[in-house]
Amino acid sequence: MNSVLHQIAAVIRLELKKTFFTRRGWWVYMLALAPVGLTLLHTVTMSRFQAYGRRGHSLYTDTEIFAFLFQTYFLRLGIFFGCVGIFSNLFRAEMLEKTLHYYFLAPIRREWLVIGKYLSGLLVAVVVFGVSVGLSMYLVGRHQGAAWSSFFSNGPGMGQLAQYLLIALLACIGYGAVFVFAGLFVRNPMIPAAVVWVWENLNPFLPSFLKKLSVIFYLKSLAPVTLPVRTPTPISFLMVDTEPVPAHYAVPGLLLVALAILIYAAIAARRAEISYSE
Amino acid sequence: MSDGLITFSDVSRFYGEALGVNRVKLAIPPGITSLVGPNGSGKTTLMNLMSGLIRPTRGEIRVLGVSPDRPEELCRILGYCAQFDAFPKGLTGFQFIHSFLRIRAMTEEECQRHTWTALETVSMADAAHRSLAAYSKGMRQRIKLAQAIAHDPRVIVLDEPLNGLDPLARAETIELFRKWGAEGRHVIVSSHILHEVDRISDQVILLSQGYVVAEGQIQGVRSEVKDQPMQILVRCNQPGRLAASLFQQDHVVEAKIHPDGKSVLLRTTDADRFYLLLNRVVMEAGLEVESVAPADDDVNSVYQYLIGAEGGAV
Amino acid sequence: MAVYKKTYRPYEGGVTAGWKRFLTIPRYALEDLQRSRFLNIFYIASFAYPVIAAIVIYLEHNLAALQGLSAEKIAAVVSIDSGFFMSFLGWQSMLALFLAAFIGPGLVSPDLANNALSLYLARPFSRTEYVLGKLSVLLLLMSLMTWVPGLLLFSYQGYLEGQGWMAANARIAAGLFFGAWIWILLLSLLALALSAWVKWKPAAGALMFGIFFVAAGFGQAINQVEDTKWGLLLSVPSVIGTLWVWLFEGNRSQSTGGVFFRLDRSAVIPVEDCWATLAALCLICLYMLARKIRGAEVVK
Repeated sequence: MNSVLHQIAAVIRLELKKTFFTRRGWWVYMLALAPVGLTLLHTVTMSRFQAYGRRGHSLYTDTEIFAFLFQTYFLRLGIFFGCVGIFSNLFRAEMLEKTLHYYFLAPIRREWLVIGKYLSGLLVAVVVFGVSVGLSMYLVGRHQGAAWSSFFSNGPGMGQLAQYLLIALLACIGYGAVFVFAGLFVRNPMIPAAVVWVWENLNPFLPSFLKKLSVIFYLKSLAPVTLPVRTPTPISFLMVDTEPVPAHYAVPGLLLVALAILIYAAIAARRAEISYSE
Repeated sequence: MSDGLITFSDVSRFYGEALGVNRVKLAIPPGITSLVGPNGSGKTTLMNLMSGLIRPTRGEIRVLGVSPDRPEELCRILGYCAQFDAFPKGLTGFQFIHSFLRIRAMTEEECQRHTWTALETVSMADAAHRSLAAYSKGMRQRIKLAQAIAHDPRVIVLDEPLNGLDPLARAETIELFRKWGAEGRHVIVSSHILHEVDRISDQVILLSQGYVVAEGQIQGVRSEVKDQPMQILVRCNQPGRLAASLFQQDHVVEAKIHPDGKSVLLRTTDADRFYLLLNRVVMEAGLEVESVAPADDDVNSVYQYLIGAEGGAV
Repeated sequence: MAVYKKTYRPYEGGVTAGWKRFLTIPRYALEDLQRSRFLNIFYIASFAYPVIAAIVIYLEHNLAALQGLSAEKIAAVVSIDSGFFMSFLGWQSMLALFLAAFIGPGLVSPDLANNALSLYLARPFSRTEYVLGKLSVLLLLMSLMTWVPGLLLFSYQGYLEGQGWMAANARIAAGLFFGAWIWILLLSLLALALSAWVKWKPAAGALMFGIFFVAAGFGQAINQVEDTKWGLLLSVPSVIGTLWVWLFEGNRSQSTGGVFFRLDRSAVIPVEDCWATLAALCLICLYMLARKIRGAEVVK
């Protein structure tokens, strides 16, 4: 068992060396860091408002703004497309660059290889998006000064942040499993990405048992702040209205779905062959 | 007994409707074995099959008793230098070898030691910390070789290993093959350069259009090619007289005096009877023979006889 | 005296006129595309909406063909006006986005990957002609999906309604033509620019969708966080929708654009800013193309 862990750690280390903070991943970092820039701009704007004696956002408004930012941007766009880029490339990019055979010629069970690559992708996604969520939440209300600090130290701020981070982690786990699987078996990951995206957004219209085959379904109920109903916008079709699921059911449910996909990917990887020419 | 061999039992591999290899039955002993054949004859397919990168459509393969279906066992005893000139991005030569050794669950010290040994074996220690992207074609070929042998495998599979190497590196690499073969390892080499294959191989496997056309030691293979008369070059003091005496026999089909006037090239359909006859003629005529050597029992000739017409150029 | 045998004979046949040399590219590209069964089916299927729209126009003028439905009910359900044609354009433009995402990335990247660009440019063929040739492939295919059937539908409606209708609604025809051209030109430039910069075709295709959806989402986030409407400038569908509404209905417009290209009436952005945004986007694409479409590449 010790040597298996050793091997998985070696795969993770190699993957991180190859992919973490490389030029080709610039757009993932852009996706993740865009909200940080936006919330920084927000805090600067609000501070200037206050400096000129104008009334800025209330603390409650800021928490609501962050909830909106998290649910519409992070969850449905940033983390989703970030996971498409990170996870579907774990195997697909190696096939395109004709380097996967180096892994297949190492004395490691393919199952552990899938796990190692998946964990390395998860680590990158969680660090990048976790940092972005944390920074964005901190910056969105920074202009509140002591009240914002108190919101974190004495109020529900820290709990909310932990919940957002948990949702981001679970989203990375869920989407990561889906796209590592897609990257192994589909030549053009754009197709499964589009299918999953449409599926996730069709969720409100699906029958109850099909709703459960969606990552959004499990995450919706974990959000600490409920979004107010808004008037339709040009992208209102992005909003997914799922039925609430208790957290004690949502978290293990999502983990089970991700695990089932990963197990299937690992079993199928065992039968995978090197055929770069296809 | 078969645990010391690489065996293919009636192995076929199809790519959809296209044939990779068909009905291959082989038992490859230790030493240097060369796979020879034109493009598309199935050399790489055979190598990929024995290293587990692809699976047979039919039949069974065992590499020293291990099934390629179990990469976790097979890759401990096998090293494969594939033909693809591609490397993981962003690594140095040292990191490339070291990282994949780490996946073998070796300790850090072992990894370091094996990495440096492999780099020194292919004379790449000086360039170890340079980025792979900055390597020349020959350096890339050598670092691939180093990565394939870094874990000290018993079976070394090398697909076109001499490609891109300069003459000096080529000679050094061939010496390495010889050394590994002499140590009792299995060294499976595919190459287009027939005279080099000829120099280093203990046995050859000739492939054409997915079928094994011949296998074994090259002289043995040549002797089995009955429909092509053997060519024998005899250097002696009276080549004309020798040619006249031998040409009277029905199994000697051609005799050609070399322009230098010191040797004669003879073609015979029965080598055993020819050698007996040659001894007799030399004794009777009192000729002084300098050398007698087969002129077409090299890989190139055998290749031309067996594959040449259909295989085209290699 | 030495005799040198001259065997070289330069080509003396006719040459294609310079102005139409760029057409060589679409000729071969279209032949290639024709071989894809998926693309053929997709392209044929993309004409379903125009056919349905033609049927609707026919029924609108031949109510007797429908039994059991009163004329008032039909008229209430469908009205052939600028909204009808904008919805038509919206559907077809979304399909054009898919088409561009499928075929656009394969137009330039293979030439770059295989060093074929120097072969083109080593002939009497300029960079502009190369880009024009590649652009014409997309422009031709997308034109046939958007403004061509749009104007045919407009003419059909005019024919059934009478001459006066066409004259009174000439702005719709102009809207269809120019609205479609804005979109297909933007898509073609974007597809070529991404194809020149992103080696992996699926990634380039995905980026096209990303620019469409992710930028729109981020724009929405900007609006929410900053309490502004300027984030909509990042939303290509909103920008295009705003321009369409202006092109179809002028300054007194009340509609909310076509399907997929709707605008929020509570946060309308000025038309001039939409033009400026589109111009900036096109210039960025042209700059990207100018950087990559070169006969020789400088390797650092």
